[in-house]
Amino acid sequence: MSHSVGHEETHGGGTSEIKKVTIILSVLTIIELALGFWMIGMENKGLVLAIKGAIIILMLAKAFYIVGYFMHLKHEIKNLIMTIVVPLALFIWFIIAFLADGNSFRNLRNTYDPYFKEQSTIKVEKKEHGSHGAAAGAHADTTHKSEGAVENKH
Amino acid sequence: MSNEAVVHAHGAVTTHEGHGDHHHEHHHHETFITKYVFSQDHKMIAKQFLITGMVWAVLGGLMSVLFRLQLGYPDATFPWLEDILGKWAKGGRITPEAYYALVTTHGTVLVFFVLTAGLSGTFANFLIPLQVGARDMASPFMNMLSYWFFFAASIVMLSSMFVETGPFSGGWTAYPPLSALGDASPGSKIGMDMWLISMALFVVSSLLGGLNYIATVLNMRTKGMSMTRMPLTIWALFFTAVLGVLSFPVLFSGFILLIFDRNFGTSFYLSDIFINGVGALPNEGGSAILYQHLFWFLGHPEVYIILLPAMGMVSEILSVNSRKPIFGYMAMIGSLFAIAILAFLVWAHHMFVTGLNPFLGSIFVLLTLLIAVPSAIKVFNWLTTLWRGNIRFTPGMMFAIGFVSLFISGGLTGIWLGNSALDIHLHDTYFVIAHFHIVMGVASMFGMFAGIYHWFPKMYGRYLNNTMGYIHFWVTIAGAYLIFWPMHYEGLAGMPRRYYDYSIWESFKQFAELNRFISTVAMIVFAVQLLFLFNFFYSIFKGRKVTTLNPWGATTLEWTTPIKPGHGNWVGEIPEVHRWAYDYGKDGKEFIAQTTPVGADESHH
Amino acid sequence: MATTTTATTTKLWGGGKSPFNVEYGKLMMWYFLMSDAFTFGAFLISYGTIRFSTNGWPDPNEVFKSFPFAPEGMNAPLVFVSIMTFILIISSVTMVLAVHAGHNMDKKGVVKNLIWTIIGGLAFLGCQAWEWTHLHHEGAWWGSNPFLNADGTASSTNFTNYFFTITGFHGFHVFSGVIINIVMLIMTLMDKFEQRGHYLMIEKAGLYWHFVDLVWVFVFTCFYLV
Repeated sequence: MSHSVGHEETHGGGTSEIKKVTIILSVLTIIELALGFWMIGMENKGLVLAIKGAIIILMLAKAFYIVGYFMHLKHEIKNLIMTIVVPLALFIWFIIAFLADGNSFRNLRNTYDPYFKEQSTIKVEKKEHGSHGAAAGAHADTTHKSEGAVENKH
Repeated sequence: MSNEAVVHAHGAVTTHEGHGDHHHEHHHHETFITKYVFSQDHKMIAKQFLITGMVWAVLGGLMSVLFRLQLGYPDATFPWLEDILGKWAKGGRITPEAYYALVTTHGTVLVFFVLTAGLSGTFANFLIPLQVGARDMASPFMNMLSYWFFFAASIVMLSSMFVETGPFSGGWTAYPPLSALGDASPGSKIGMDMWLISMALFVVSSLLGGLNYIATVLNMRTKGMSMTRMPLTIWALFFTAVLGVLSFPVLFSGFILLIFDRNFGTSFYLSDIFINGVGALPNEGGSAILYQHLFWFLGHPEVYIILLPAMGMVSEILSVNSRKPIFGYMAMIGSLFAIAILAFLVWAHHMFVTGLNPFLGSIFVLLTLLIAVPSAIKVFNWLTTLWRGNIRFTPGMMFAIGFVSLFISGGLTGIWLGNSALDIHLHDTYFVIAHFHIVMGVASMFGMFAGIYHWFPKMYGRYLNNTMGYIHFWVTIAGAYLIFWPMHYEGLAGMPRRYYDYSIWESFKQFAELNRFISTVAMIVFAVQLLFLFNFFYSIFKGRKVTTLNPWGATTLEWTTPIKPGHGNWVGEIPEVHRWAYDYGKDGKEFIAQTTPVGADESHH
Repeated sequence: MATTTTATTTKLWGGGKSPFNVEYGKLMMWYFLMSDAFTFGAFLISYGTIRFSTNGWPDPNEVFKSFPFAPEGMNAPLVFVSIMTFILIISSVTMVLAVHAGHNMDKKGVVKNLIWTIIGGLAFLGCQAWEWTHLHHEGAWWGSNPFLNADGTASSTNFTNYFFTITGFHGFHVFSGVIINIVMLIMTLMDKFEQRGHYLMIEKAGLYWHFVDLVWVFVFTCFYLV
C-alpha cells in the first residue's frame, strides 16, 4: 500500500483563474447592488418582482463561482461533484413546500382572522429613531389585545 | 493508453493512510481507560453505544409500563408507586403531569437514544469497518467523540428527570407553544431547557458519527470491495448516515429558534397567545406550524434512520440463514436509495390537519404513497429470499423473520394514514400509535435483536443462550401483536392518544377491559426483555464459546477476522475481496467467502 | 476510449482507494459543509416562510442606510453592506491564494495570504459589530423592532428576530473561521506542514472559509436586497 497521500495535482486553477473569478464575482456583486439601488422607491410591483428574481439568479451564479472555483469543486472528480450537488436538489422541494405553506397560512389568516387583516391596514405614525426600545414597546401594547386563539393550560 | 495510466493520471490517494502497516501486530500499550472508556476502537465504541442504548431501553420501557398502569387501571391506587415516584404519584396514582412527562420521555428516549444511537450507533460502528475491510473508522477520534457527546446528552436527559418541575411533558415532538413558553406547564420550565440541551448534544453526536460512517464507506473499502459488492447492511447504514447528516441540521436550526423563543423574547413560533394567570403575550407574528415543518423535516427521515439499519441487517441475516443469495440485490439497493430520497419529500404527512394547504397536502399524499413501492419491493425480495431456502431457525433468524412480519403489518396501515382524507379521522388516535409502534418501534427493535443475536459471537466470542432466545422471541412477537393490534380498533373508534384517563369518556368506556388487557401484555413483554438482558450479560461472561472463525457459514469479511479481533481487526494484510457478499449455494458449494478468488470454471450469478 | 472510461470508473470504485481521489478529511469537510448548508438553509427558509405568511415587511433600504462616522440622518442604503460583502469576497480570494501557495509548498505565500485572510475576517466582524450596535441604539434587538413595514403599518418583531439570529449565526461561523485560520497560521509558522510534506489542512480550512463567504452571499441577498 503506497503512502502517496501527497497533494494532488492542481488541474486547472492557477492565479490567472483566481483573478478571473475575482473579477466575475465583483462584477456580479456590482450588478446586484445596481439593481438594488434601482429598486429603491420603485412603484411598479411587477418590475420589482422581476428585479428580485434577477438578483436571486445572480446570487446563484455567485454561489456557482465560489463553489466551483474557490472551493475547487469544478476540478474534482465528477463523482464527487455529483455526491455533493445532487443532495442539494432536496432544497427545491424544501423551499417550495415551506414557502407555499407560509403563503397559504397568510391567506388563511387574512380570510378567517379579521384582526390579522385589520392590523395590516392600520398605518402607524412614523417614530423618530434613537428612542431606545420605545417604539417596540408601544407596538407590543397595541398588538396583543388579540381575540385570537386562546391557549389555556393546566 | 492503459487503464493503469488513466488511474494514475489522477494521482493516487490510497485509503488506509491513517492506519497503515503498524497495525499488523498489535502490541501498543493499552490501559483500562484507553481500552474500555475512552476507546478509539470502533468495536468497543459500538459496545458502548449498545449498552448505553440498553440502559435507555430499560428506562424507556419502564416508563411505558408505568403509564400503561395508569391506562389499564385508571381507578386503582398502587401505594408502592408513591414510594418510588414521590409526589409524582401522590396517593399511589400517577399524576397527570407525571403521566405526560412519562409519555414524552418514553418517546424521546426510545426514538433518539435507543433506536437511533443504540441501533445505528451500535451496528454502523461495529459492522462498517468489519464488513468493508477497514482497520477502523476514517477518524477513530471523532468516533470516540460521537459516543461521548451521546453520553453527555444522556446525562443531561437523565438529570432532567430529577428537577423539581419535572422533565419536559409536551410530547416527544416538542411542539410550541407548550415547548416555547415556560408558563405553559410545569414540564415546560427547566425540564424543557435540559431537553433542548440534551437534544442539541445528541445532534452533534449523530453528525460526528454520520460523517465518519459516510467517509469510511466511501474511502476505506478494502481492495476489490466495490460498492456493489458490499453487503446490504453497509448500504443501509450508509443511507442512514446520509439521512442523518442532511436532516439533523434542520432540526438543530428549529431548536435554535425555539431556544430564542424561550429565552430571548422572540416570536418565531408564537402568535395570538393568552395564558391563564399571565394574560395576553406580546409575542406576535410567528407560526407554530413552522416549527412542525422544521421538526418533521428531520422527523420523517428519522423514521428511516431508525428503520434502514434494521432492514439492512435483516437482509443479511435472512440470506445467511436461508443459505441463499439475497433476492434482487440491486433492487434492494435501489429501493433503499428510493426510500432515502422519498424520506426527505414527505414530511408534511404528519401535518395534514394543522391547516396545511390542502393542495400541498395532496402532493404530500402522492409522495407518501410512493414509498409503498420501494417498501413492497423490499418485502417481496425478503419473502423470495426465504422461498425454498434451507432455513436455519436461529434466534437471530427468528427475529429477522419477525421483522418482515411486523414491517408488513405496520406498513399496510401506513397506506391508510398517508391519505389526507382518512387522516382527518385517524390522526392523533390510537391507530397512529399502533401504526408507528409496529412498523418503526417494534420492527426496528426486532432488527436490533436480530443483529445482536447474529453478531454477538463476533462481539464477545461467545453465543447467546438459544433457549432464552426462543422464549424472548415468541413472547415478544406475540406480545407485540397483542398490544398493538387492538389499538387499531380503538383508534378507528376515535380514541385519541395522550389522554390521561379514558374511563371518564362515555364513548371510550367500552375499551376499559381492552386497555387492561393491553397493559397486562405490555408488562409481560417488558419482563421478557429483562430475560434477554440477563441472557446478554450472562453470555458475555459465561456463554458457550465460539470455536470456529465462521460459525454461521457467512461470506462476509467480519468472519475472516480472529474470533476476538484486536484493534485493527485483521492480523496481517487486510484480505482482498473478489466477489459479492451473497454467494450461497452456488456451484454446489454451501457458501463461497468474499475473499475467495473467482474460479475459472465458475458460473455467473 | 469508451472502454477505458468504464474501466477507470470500476477501478475508482473498486475499493482499496478513494473513489474521489481525496483523503477522508477533505471528504468529511465537504459533507460537514453540506450538513451546515442545511442548517443555514433551514434558517433562511424559515425566514422566507414567515415573510410569506406575513402581510407587510420593512423595506431594507429604510433600515440599513447608515454608515460609520456619517452625519446623522444621512441616507446611504446598501453602501455599508456592500463594503462588508467586498471585504468577505477579498478575504476569500486571499484564502484561495493561500491554498494555492500551499500546493506549491510556498510557506511565505501561505503565511502572507493567511494573514490577509485573518485581517479580512476581523474587519468583517468589526463591521458587523458596528452594524449591530447601531441597530441596537435604534431600538432593534431580539424581540423588539422599531421599524415599520414598507407600507407604514406596524411590523412584527420577526424582522429583527431573524436578522439578528441569522447574521449572528453567520458571524459565529466567521468568528470560528478566523480562529481556524489563526491556528493554521501558527501551524504554518511552526513548520508543521513542511514536516508533513503537504498543506492539505490549509485546503480544508479554506473550504470552510469559502463556505462562510458562500453563506454570506445568501444572507446578504435575503436580508438586504430581496
